[in-house]
Amino acid sequence: MADLQKLYEAVLNGDNKTAVAVTKEALAENADPIELIQKYMIPAMAEVGKRFECEEYFVPELLLSARAMKGALELLRPLLAEKGAEPTGRVVIGTVKGDLHDIGKNLVASLLEGGGFEVTDLGADVPPEKFVEAVQLRNANVVCLSALLTVTMPAMRTTIEALKNAGLRDRVKVLVGGAPVTPQFAKEIGADGYGENASVAVNLARDMVKASSHAC
Amino acid sequence: MTCRERVLTALAHREPDRIPMDFGSTAVTGMHVTCVAALREHFGLERRPVKVHEPYQMLGLVEPDLQDAMGLDVEGVFPRKTMFGFPNEGWKEWRFHGVDVLVPRDFNTTVDEKGDLLIYPEGDLTAPPSGRMPAGGFFFDTIIRQRPIDEARLDPADNLEEFQPVSAADLAHFREAAAAARATGRAVMANFGGTAFGDIALVPAPFLKDPKGIRDVAEWYMATHTRRDYIHRIFDRQSEIALQNLEAIYGAVGDQVDAVFLCGTDFGTQTSSFCSTATFRELYFPYYRRLNDWIHQHTPWKTFKHSCGAVERFIESFIECGFDILNPVQCSAAGMEPAHLKSAYGDRLVFWGGGVDTQKTLPFGTPADVREEVLGRCEVFSRGGGFVFDSIHNVQAGTPVVNLVAMIDAVREFNGNK
Repeated sequence: MADLQKLYEAVLNGDNKTAVAVTKEALAENADPIELIQKYMIPAMAEVGKRFECEEYFVPELLLSARAMKGALELLRPLLAEKGAEPTGRVVIGTVKGDLHDIGKNLVASLLEGGGFEVTDLGADVPPEKFVEAVQLRNANVVCLSALLTVTMPAMRTTIEALKNAGLRDRVKVLVGGAPVTPQFAKEIGADGYGENASVAVNLARDMVKASSHAC
Repeated sequence: MTCRERVLTALAHREPDRIPMDFGSTAVTGMHVTCVAALREHFGLERRPVKVHEPYQMLGLVEPDLQDAMGLDVEGVFPRKTMFGFPNEGWKEWRFHGVDVLVPRDFNTTVDEKGDLLIYPEGDLTAPPSGRMPAGGFFFDTIIRQRPIDEARLDPADNLEEFQPVSAADLAHFREAAAAARATGRAVMANFGGTAFGDIALVPAPFLKDPKGIRDVAEWYMATHTRRDYIHRIFDRQSEIALQNLEAIYGAVGDQVDAVFLCGTDFGTQTSSFCSTATFRELYFPYYRRLNDWIHQHTPWKTFKHSCGAVERFIESFIECGFDILNPVQCSAAGMEPAHLKSAYGDRLVFWGGGVDTQKTLPFGTPADVREEVLGRCEVFSRGGGFVFDSIHNVQAGTPVVNLVAMIDAVREFNGNK
C-alpha cells in the first residue's frame, strides 16, 4: 500500500520523482484524489510557505517543492474534475503587460495551487483585456497581478481599470505583488491587497475568498 | 582634488573635498539611453544621438561633456563585446521611443507577430533570438533556450563555454581602453567580465548561439540546491580561468585601473534573500575569496560587488571574502537601513550607491522628494568617506529629467555647491 506520508515529505522536500511515484501508486490503489490533496499536499505546501516566511526555505527550495506538487497535481487534476470537487477559490494570475518576469508569479501560482485554488495562469506580458476575458471565462473571484519592473507597475493600474470598465471589479478581489510594489502603491491603484511574498499572497487570497463568501 | 583623487580618498575611507559621483561606469550604475538623451538636452549639450553601449538594458553612454555637466568622477572600461555577443562598434542610427540613438553594427532585430522586438546572439539573424523586448518596452530580457536536461550527461564544461582564456584582441582592447580612461583624470572602474559566479542575468547566455548545460533560470536556482557538486565544479574551473585572465589583464592594464567590477550575482530579494548565509559561505565564498585574494596580493585594485535586495545578512561575509565595495545598497529592501549599514560596516566597506531610490522616489516622486532623500543619504553615508554617490541601480526609463536634475543639484548642495 502506498505510504502517503511519503507524498507529504516529497512535496515538503521538493522531491518530484517520489511525489509522482507515490501519487501513481496511490491512484492505482484507488485512493481518493481529494484526500491526497487535502490531507497531504495542502499541508505540505502550507509548511513550505511557513518555512519560506521563517527564512528556512529560500527561492530554490520553493521552486523544488512547487515542482513536486505540480507533478503530483497533474495526475490528480483530471480525476478532480470528474468528482466535481470545489476549489478554495478561482484565481486568474499573470505578470502585467510589458513585463516578462515570471519566477515570482510562478511561485505564487504554485503556492495557490498547493492551497487548493483553481489557478488560471496567463503567463507574462499579459494585456488587460486578457485578464478581463479570463475572469469572465473562468468565473474567477481573485485576480493576482505581478510586476518586477518599475516601468511596468502602471500596467497594474490599467488592468484594474479594465476590470472596472468591464463591470467585473466588484466580482473579484485584486491582489498585487512584485519587487517594486508597495502596500501604498496597491492602495493608490485600488487593489484589494498586497502580498509581500508568495506565502503572504496565498494567505491573503484565502482570507479574501472566505470573507467574500461570508458576505454573501 | 582631481576626480580620481576624490574617488581614491573615498575608497580609502577618508573624507574627500566633496562626495564623488558615478553614473555610467558599469552596467549597474548607468542610465537608460532615453534619460541620457534627456539630460544632454537639459544641459544644452551638442545635439547628437546617444550611443546605446549596453544594449541588454539599453543604457546610454555618458560622454565627457555630460560627465562634466553632471560632475561625475568615474570612467568605465567595458568589454569589447556586449551581452548579446557582438562587438560594441560600427555604430548605426536607430530610433527608440522617439529618440535618435546609435546602436552597434550587429545590433540586429526583428519584430514578431506580437510586436515584440527580438535580438540575436552575435547579431546572427539565422540563430534563434536570445533577447526579447516587449512591444513598447524599454529594454530586453533574455529568452531561455534550455535543451532537455539529461541528468546522466550533465557536464560542467557545458556551462563553461563562455569562460575562455582572454584573447589577444581583448587584451589589446583593455590596454587601450584603460589608458584612455586614465587620461580623462577620472577614477577608472573596469568591467573585465568572467568573474561573476552564477549571475542569473548571465546564466541564460544571451551572447551564445547555442548554449548548453543548465541555462533556465528556475532550473539554475534549483540546481544550487540539488546539484551542488555540479555548480561547485563550474565555479572551481571558472575561477581558475578567471585567475589566469586577471593575471594577463593586469599585465596589460596595470595600475591604470582603480577598481574592478567583479560580480553582479544578486543574493537579495526585496524582503529576503535567495539563499541562506550557510549556503553563501559554502557555495560562493571560497571562489570570491580566491579572486579577491589574488587581486589584493598582486594589484592595487579595489573590488566591487553588486547585489540587489536585502543582503545585510551577507555583508560580513562579503567583507571577509575580500570585497571592498558594495553596490547598489538597496536601502528600500529589508534590513538595509542606511544608518545601520553605515555604522555597522561603513569603516570596512565602501557604499557605492544608496543615493536615491529608483523604484519609487526618483521615477515617481517630486523634485522636493528627491532632494530630501538625496540630502539624507549623503548625510548618513558620506561621514568618514567610504561613499560614492550613485542611484540605487540604473536610472530607469521614464524618470522625469527634473528629478534627475534635482538629484544632481542636491548632491551639489550637500557638497556646499562645490
